[in-house]
Amino acid sequence: MSHYEAPIREPLVLGDKSYHDITEDIAKPIEGAANKNWYIAFYISLAAMLWGFGCIFYTVGTGIGVWGLNKNIGWAWDITNFVWWVGIGHAGTLISAVLLLFRQKWRMAINRSAEAMTIFAVFQAGLFPIIHMGRPWNGYWVLPMPNQFGSLWVNFNSPLLWDVFAISTYLSVSLVFWWTGLLPDFAMIRDRAVKPFQKKIYALLSFGWSGRAKDWQRFEEVSLVLAGLATPLVLSVHTIVSMDFATSINPGWHSTIFPPYFVAGAIFSGFAMVQTLLGIMRKVTNLEDYITRMHIEYMNIVIILTGGIVAVAYATEFFIAWYTGSPYENYTYLSVGAATGPYAWAFWSLIIFNIITPQLLWIKKFRRSFIITFIISIAINIGMWFERFDIIAIVLSKGHLPSTWWRFEPTFVDVGIFVGTIGFFFVLFLLYARTFPVIAQAEVKTILKSSGEFYKKRREQGIPTKPAINVVNVAGTSDKSNKE
Amino acid sequence: MASDKKYWQSVEELKGSSIVETLSENEFVEEIPTDQFLGDKETLENSSTSRRDFLKYVGFTTAAASLAACEGPVRKSIPYVVKPDDVTLGVADWYATSMADGYDFANVLVKTREGRPIQIMPNKEANGTTSARVQAAVLSLYDEKLRLKEPTKGGEAISWADADKEVKAKLSELKEANKSVVLLTGSMASPSTDKIIEGFIAANPNAKHVVYDAVSESGAADAFMAMYGKRALPNYHLDKAKTIVSFGADFLGDFHGGLEKSYVAGRKSETGHMSYHVQVESNMSLTGANSDKRVVVKPSDQVFALLNLYNAVTGANVPSKATSVDSTVKKLASDLKKSGSKGVVLTGLNDKNAQLIALAINKALNSEIIDINNTLNIRQGNDAEVSQLISDMKSGKVAGLISYNVDPIYSLSNSSDFSEGLKKLELSVALSTENNETVNASNFVLPTPHFLESWGDAQFDSVTYGLMQPTIQPLFNTRQVQDALLNWSGDATKYYDYLKSFATTNILGGSSWNKALHNGFFTKEVVNSEANLAEVSISDAAAKLSSSAKKASGFELNLYTKTGLGDGKQANNPWLQEFPDPITRASWDNYLMMSMADARELGFSNPVKDNGAIDGDYAKVSVNGKEVVVPVMVQPGQAIGSVGLALGYGKTFGLNEEMQVGVNAYPLYTNGNNIQYGVTVEKVSGTHKFACTQVQKTIAGRHDILKVASLKQVTSNADPKHTWNKPAFVSYDHNEVEAKTIDLWDEHNREIGHHFNLSIDLTSCTGCGACVVACHAENNVPVVGKKEVRVGRDMHWLRIDRYYSSEIATREEAKAQGLSGGDLYKAIETEAENPEVTFQPMMCQHCNHAPCETVCPVAATSHGRQGQNQMAYNRCVGTRYCANNCPYRVRRFNWFNYSNNNEFDFNMNNEYGKMVLNPDVVVRSRGVMEKCSMCIQMTQATILKAKKEGRAVNTDEFETACSSACTTGAMVFGDINNKEDKVAALVEDKKAYGVLDYLQTKPNVIYQVKVKNTNEA
Repeated sequence: MSHYEAPIREPLVLGDKSYHDITEDIAKPIEGAANKNWYIAFYISLAAMLWGFGCIFYTVGTGIGVWGLNKNIGWAWDITNFVWWVGIGHAGTLISAVLLLFRQKWRMAINRSAEAMTIFAVFQAGLFPIIHMGRPWNGYWVLPMPNQFGSLWVNFNSPLLWDVFAISTYLSVSLVFWWTGLLPDFAMIRDRAVKPFQKKIYALLSFGWSGRAKDWQRFEEVSLVLAGLATPLVLSVHTIVSMDFATSINPGWHSTIFPPYFVAGAIFSGFAMVQTLLGIMRKVTNLEDYITRMHIEYMNIVIILTGGIVAVAYATEFFIAWYTGSPYENYTYLSVGAATGPYAWAFWSLIIFNIITPQLLWIKKFRRSFIITFIISIAINIGMWFERFDIIAIVLSKGHLPSTWWRFEPTFVDVGIFVGTIGFFFVLFLLYARTFPVIAQAEVKTILKSSGEFYKKRREQGIPTKPAINVVNVAGTSDKSNKE
Repeated sequence: MASDKKYWQSVEELKGSSIVETLSENEFVEEIPTDQFLGDKETLENSSTSRRDFLKYVGFTTAAASLAACEGPVRKSIPYVVKPDDVTLGVADWYATSMADGYDFANVLVKTREGRPIQIMPNKEANGTTSARVQAAVLSLYDEKLRLKEPTKGGEAISWADADKEVKAKLSELKEANKSVVLLTGSMASPSTDKIIEGFIAANPNAKHVVYDAVSESGAADAFMAMYGKRALPNYHLDKAKTIVSFGADFLGDFHGGLEKSYVAGRKSETGHMSYHVQVESNMSLTGANSDKRVVVKPSDQVFALLNLYNAVTGANVPSKATSVDSTVKKLASDLKKSGSKGVVLTGLNDKNAQLIALAINKALNSEIIDINNTLNIRQGNDAEVSQLISDMKSGKVAGLISYNVDPIYSLSNSSDFSEGLKKLELSVALSTENNETVNASNFVLPTPHFLESWGDAQFDSVTYGLMQPTIQPLFNTRQVQDALLNWSGDATKYYDYLKSFATTNILGGSSWNKALHNGFFTKEVVNSEANLAEVSISDAAAKLSSSAKKASGFELNLYTKTGLGDGKQANNPWLQEFPDPITRASWDNYLMMSMADARELGFSNPVKDNGAIDGDYAKVSVNGKEVVVPVMVQPGQAIGSVGLALGYGKTFGLNEEMQVGVNAYPLYTNGNNIQYGVTVEKVSGTHKFACTQVQKTIAGRHDILKVASLKQVTSNADPKHTWNKPAFVSYDHNEVEAKTIDLWDEHNREIGHHFNLSIDLTSCTGCGACVVACHAENNVPVVGKKEVRVGRDMHWLRIDRYYSSEIATREEAKAQGLSGGDLYKAIETEAENPEVTFQPMMCQHCNHAPCETVCPVAATSHGRQGQNQMAYNRCVGTRYCANNCPYRVRRFNWFNYSNNNEFDFNMNNEYGKMVLNPDVVVRSRGVMEKCSMCIQMTQATILKAKKEGRAVNTDEFETACSSACTTGAMVFGDINNKEDKVAALVEDKKAYGVLDYLQTKPNVIYQVKVKNTNEA
């Protein structure tokens, strides 16, 4: 199992860790009591979530009119938030599926949380298409179900319908993939659990994982198959989300560059969000040895790459808006008109947060700095929100007919729902951090001998290391026996 | 035949056996042992109904009761027991009648459904026209809040008989004491009523009739009287005119009741006859907006320009003053002279002398356009008599006042004098349809029916006699004014009989009453009443006019009426309040219009807020010692040194709270003069929130949206496709080809069945907005109120976009001037100080390649075989994607429930207001998208009617609400598959184009290039 890794590569697991130490480290947040900080964070998130739910009930009970939308701007914060959350939900699959196929071992420390983030973000994203409907109680009409309404059927021409399929597929595949990876780790918790109730729950969650060789073989196979299945989804989801805009006829939306540009943007924002979350989590749950500077640096490199693609896309959009010479392109979200018009502040926020700030990551010192990475990741999150806001609100605010030019101002309900989804997201994530193994410990154990700092050093010093034996038991209870 | 049948239940009963009697007395054969289980206290206490059981019973009963209550509210609809002959459920009846409310006069057709009038349309056979207000009058019928419901005396209910007795007693008392009684009415133009009033005055010789128009055209009537010996307004046949010069006469608005029909008839580029229209004015009026050339001068200069024109045309030398536009005036004079009898001069100054000058110029030109024989009767108000009445009331000379449908306390500038006088009266009777301050201050309040509930007649002009008939049973306990006056003059005739005999003997000249009533009008021969040409001293008039204008100082205020509210009679009508002004596109408000230069100097501005709405600063306007505080709207094209303010707003008494908007400008309307000199304007603190439906004022260089060409271009032989009506071109196979030749899809065969198109001629469209209100009425379009309009949520299915020109019209011009980037956009997006104005009615374009249809996830909007883009409200889940993808932004979303919602307390929230709803069109619930349906309920009805009658649909039989309301014929609707239909030729016309044709949405609404006559005469 263990492979050779060049000594020049930085270790992926720091310190002198044994398999049991890994188990202990990962199981600690689940088995121990939550600290005060966790409770403070949880209650703040819960309050935000409840406030958001209140705003949603108010919206559904009264009408979409409680938002700031108007006759000319039919979408604003709702779809901005939707696209933003879907984008955030992109890093998970990329990390777990694409990096798996490319055998990037560094993904192992972060894929669990990245996928959790994906799923929780897709939950948030999925809320918006439902609540933004004027009649959400009829929302199930977008599903192609046999029905008794007559010969009614959904409209397969509509990108919104493609969205329904894309998002639901993405959510279900991500969920299955995530859960598959969780099985050995749940089993580990199950085996360690002392409280019968806890044991029962984790037994259920681990689907009867026994740790037999056959289990491992199937696990590996399923993971590979799911990775293969999930990889196209990385591209499809945001491609289809972008088609909501690209297939329309609004100047600024109607753009063939949108699918690749949206996918890059989504990965960009997804990685930024992973950085934000892990930056906090590695500290709070004492996982500094597993989520290392190198992990952060690798993710920053992905951010530079995708951020670069996005920047090129922006430049292209800006150029095309100018190059067409069409008066209708005057006010696309990336144009001179947008840069000088009433939404100039949103335009420049996008440029500063999304293009200029990430360039700092070219500097190695910054790229490897936890605190700078954290700040930049927040900036990118903000910048990517503005990107979607600009695309939606600026374009709609300056439609084809000048008589329909209008502006958008959010109401407290718009803000409340957005804040509520952030609260909801963190409620889920905090609960996850307390109940799920946040690092795929079974996988990390597979690279301990090859990429662990201790072993690497020993190899460097020419001290022979015993091959990791009894690999099949890494998830099992016989950990202790493996301790060297 | 008496029956002695006996009914029996058993043989015993028949026989009269005693057991029957015994049994009937003792129904229960056995004693029921109630005591056994109720009487014995001990058993009862020991019964097994424990607390637990009790709770069970309570729980069960509560559950049962609440289940039983779970039933939808039952609304009983009661079918006709005996169906009235003329009512077929589901089929509309149309009645021809006339509207005459004192300010608006029209020959109309009224659509009734199941006995309820639901729409007013022009009676085209009678050459009738409707404005937004006439269209909206049907809703005022159902104004439960404002309409008077029963006769009262001193606020207490009184029976009609008692009221009559008391009024009659008082009248005879006053007659004996020879104290004066005045009958104060608005213009009625009703010959039969005039006769009745004559009779009333004969019976009460101490009585006098004074006609009071809130918005007066007394000056014009007085001038006509002086010159032609008849107190009336001249008619103008603008259709024949070659040159029209108007000095502030808003004849597409309310001047002489509106002359838009004949004006537009004279502006047809296709016939080669197009008048040259110059408007010399200070306010930006609808007429000025439509003119070929607009000369902007403040009111006093308007007077001098008029005098200079008189001098130039006649060669006289009346006293005047040089103005900045003298060279233009000279040019106008020569144009007029060239046009000769085809030239005409009008003036909107409500000043006898100014009107005399205009008449004199027309006389000098020997103008055929002005008609002095066939005169208009719709403005009979006499300012002099009204002011005499007020002073008489104050001095006690008048002891009794009978008012009818006027509200002088609201609409007089010296209303305090009037109310003071009113208090001194011995008898004050108010006959009125609606409650108002004057009614409130009168002793006897006698409700009169709405014109849709009344009999009557109206002599609009010398030839057209209109009849009025009720279209609904009176909603309230009302009685017509004519019946009251007949009664009080001691005539027992009912007004209906009176009217019939009057019309038969005096008007109809032997033709059938029933036919006239059916038609709603009767046309008489033109009476060539040889005008008594009195000799008037024009120089005298000019001297007076000139000297008064020379006194002008400070700001000059031009009071005007808005298209929506007019004189303010229908201020409680939510359709009209929500109707956006054609020029400023502001609804729910009046405001001080100020030139951009003055606004800059005085520090007024209209910033656009983040929510898209416009704010304004307040100004304190003082004139003649009277002050009002009004918000300022910076108006391009307003003359520097002048301000404009609309009358008719600021009414509060009895109105719904939402309608109490704007500022009452009548206090500034001293002596009924629409021009007030010596006005001071001062900025005061506070921010006003305007509710405008359009914020961007120019077309931003996007000239393929609204195309304008000159008459010369249109009549030249140049290929329009390469000159003045360029279609979109695209590159295809390295060739520049017309965009419409390229298609992604195979075209459907659209030649089967009907295919509807609507053609809108931008030259004929004056922007009057009658169609907007017609659409409201036909399609149950909700009213959303000021706050919602402000944030851009008006629900109008049909709107009229208004664009001002900018100093730099196109990007190319801007680039040529070295502008780029933000400066370029600013240049093409900022309106000119004195812009040209264009209007564009905009509604669902019913694209054959509709962008909205492809994006709806549930296929709630899809294309019909007849070209209509259809909206299935029931299927809509409200994603609003369709609205975002509509390049014309015509889709309207139901942000809230607009019916049965106290937050939107308009006509759809009360039982009376709901009676105006069109039963053929569903009222939409919240969360669904709606939009123009091309009146599919009307086209279907037409098809069904033809089918039922076993015939093909006739040529031009199809109509929509907007096209039938359109007075000027700008909107033509029809079936392009019927080549006889007018629209079939129009869509092929060289002037035809589709808005945003570069998108190739292939709209079924076709526009005709706006033509301006820049050729001059």
